[in-house]
Amino acid sequence: MSRALGDDWLLPALDAKNHAWFTSGTLALQACTRCAAVQFPPEDACRSCGSFELGTRASAGRGRIESVAVVHHAVHPLLRPRVPYAVVLVALDDAPHVRLLGNVLNRAHDQIAIGGRVRVVFEEVTDPESGELLRIPQWEALA
Amino acid sequence: MTEEPSGAAAVVAGIGESDYYGRGKSPYTEFQLALIAIRAACADAGLDPAEIDGFTSYMDGRNDPLRLSAALGVRSLSWTSQPWGGGGNNMAAAVQLADAAVSAGYARHVVAFRALAQGQFGRFGQSRSAGRAGGDFAYQHLYGLLSPAQECALHTRRFLHDHRISQEALAEIALAAYANAQRNPRAIRHGEPLTRAQYHASRFIVEPFHLYDCCPENDGAAAILVTTPERARDLAAQPVAIVAAAQGLGPGFGIAAFQGSWFPGVFYRDVAEKLWQRAGVRPADVDVLQMYENFTGPVLMALSEMGFAAPDEVEAFVRRGLAGPDAVLPFNTSGGNLGEAYIHGFELVNEAVRQVRGTSTCQVTRKRVERSLAVAGPGYAAGSAVLFGPSA
Repeated sequence: MSRALGDDWLLPALDAKNHAWFTSGTLALQACTRCAAVQFPPEDACRSCGSFELGTRASAGRGRIESVAVVHHAVHPLLRPRVPYAVVLVALDDAPHVRLLGNVLNRAHDQIAIGGRVRVVFEEVTDPESGELLRIPQWEALA
Repeated sequence: MTEEPSGAAAVVAGIGESDYYGRGKSPYTEFQLALIAIRAACADAGLDPAEIDGFTSYMDGRNDPLRLSAALGVRSLSWTSQPWGGGGNNMAAAVQLADAAVSAGYARHVVAFRALAQGQFGRFGQSRSAGRAGGDFAYQHLYGLLSPAQECALHTRRFLHDHRISQEALAEIALAAYANAQRNPRAIRHGEPLTRAQYHASRFIVEPFHLYDCCPENDGAAAILVTTPERARDLAAQPVAIVAAAQGLGPGFGIAAFQGSWFPGVFYRDVAEKLWQRAGVRPADVDVLQMYENFTGPVLMALSEMGFAAPDEVEAFVRRGLAGPDAVLPFNTSGGNLGEAYIHGFELVNEAVRQVRGTSTCQVTRKRVERSLAVAGPGYAAGSAVLFGPSA
């Protein structure tokens, strides 16, 4: 599978807090083991009850497009061949307060509307620095 | 809440700025630009710069008080501070910090300023960093969302969609800024009028923002001198009161710009509540408005959140016309970030003070300005605003 913005486009810097998110092949949302609140992005403490006891809970990965930005001016040299491209913001059905960014893999930039239904898919890419297999959350429009 | 101090004790006793230059065109270093603006504010006030004893700014790690104090011959430094987080959201907060220091008696003559010559430090129109992003940006950059324009576009697109607002509403903001800049010889866009046809024909940067919806990057500096009304009486310039100032970040604000109940938005409802309460006035009482426009879209959201117009009515509000001294609510009368210069919004503070003095190049004429408001930008951190008025 080739990546939406090109196979040479930058990958995220992985750390302890985001490692599962980018490798597990699930939307491993941070969840409080005390009050069960789900939060994104992850934090060192639960934003609902203050607990430090945090685990993960997978989302089913279906959602609604909340907004879309169609980028025409590339702000990074590697993106110049990719414009115009669309970045979407998706609210999850099973965690509507969580909004995730991404690209819609099966739609052209001008065929993406607010309110559109999507499901998560994962772009698999080997991290050239660590050799680890990453699974990057992306979106696929539902008919 | 009603027992809060009014925060009305301090005044602006001097304003100053450097010449404004296109990006990379300044013959001066950023630090020299800061000195030029601060010396000009002191000259305006008739104060020896050696008497400065405090500095406030925002997002400025380069022009620090140690260097400034040494170069200005400051005899004794009593106060330095910057608000946390974001960027242009803090322009009015820097004024508030100066007000707080002077009102509390911790310092006597505090300079609030911003100096910018970003071309000496980074590249315009490029992403924040060229490498792999961590932290909150880890979830953002890998999808090609890398710049403030792109972030604000996501908010704006949804706001326009929800409230059936057309591109013309964005155009009104840009056209007003350029029209007012034609009256202002300091303005970088002076002599470069913008037509509605030019606006619509310009390329998209990121939809819905055309080129003219996006502020340029400029070189320059602006500064004000804040002191007590008593000391200001012995100085040269007409003092202008800091009537009320506020920083705000209410509950449900959201982390990382896109979360929480405030999407789409600019995080200004809480600023509005505090500011109007402290000032004892309503939006309709404002005589002239300066509002940070890094991009036009956030202005529409800020007008709504500050209470000038309901979201469904904001297009009608801006289409009444914003340009010129006779607009229903004169707006960004110097040309603002888009037309005068992008000094990270601080040029708007100086202009708000000028309107109370009666010295703007786009001076409100229908009445003496009593309530001159400057609203900072959407840093997706605590926002800020400051209301100026005549000093008693």
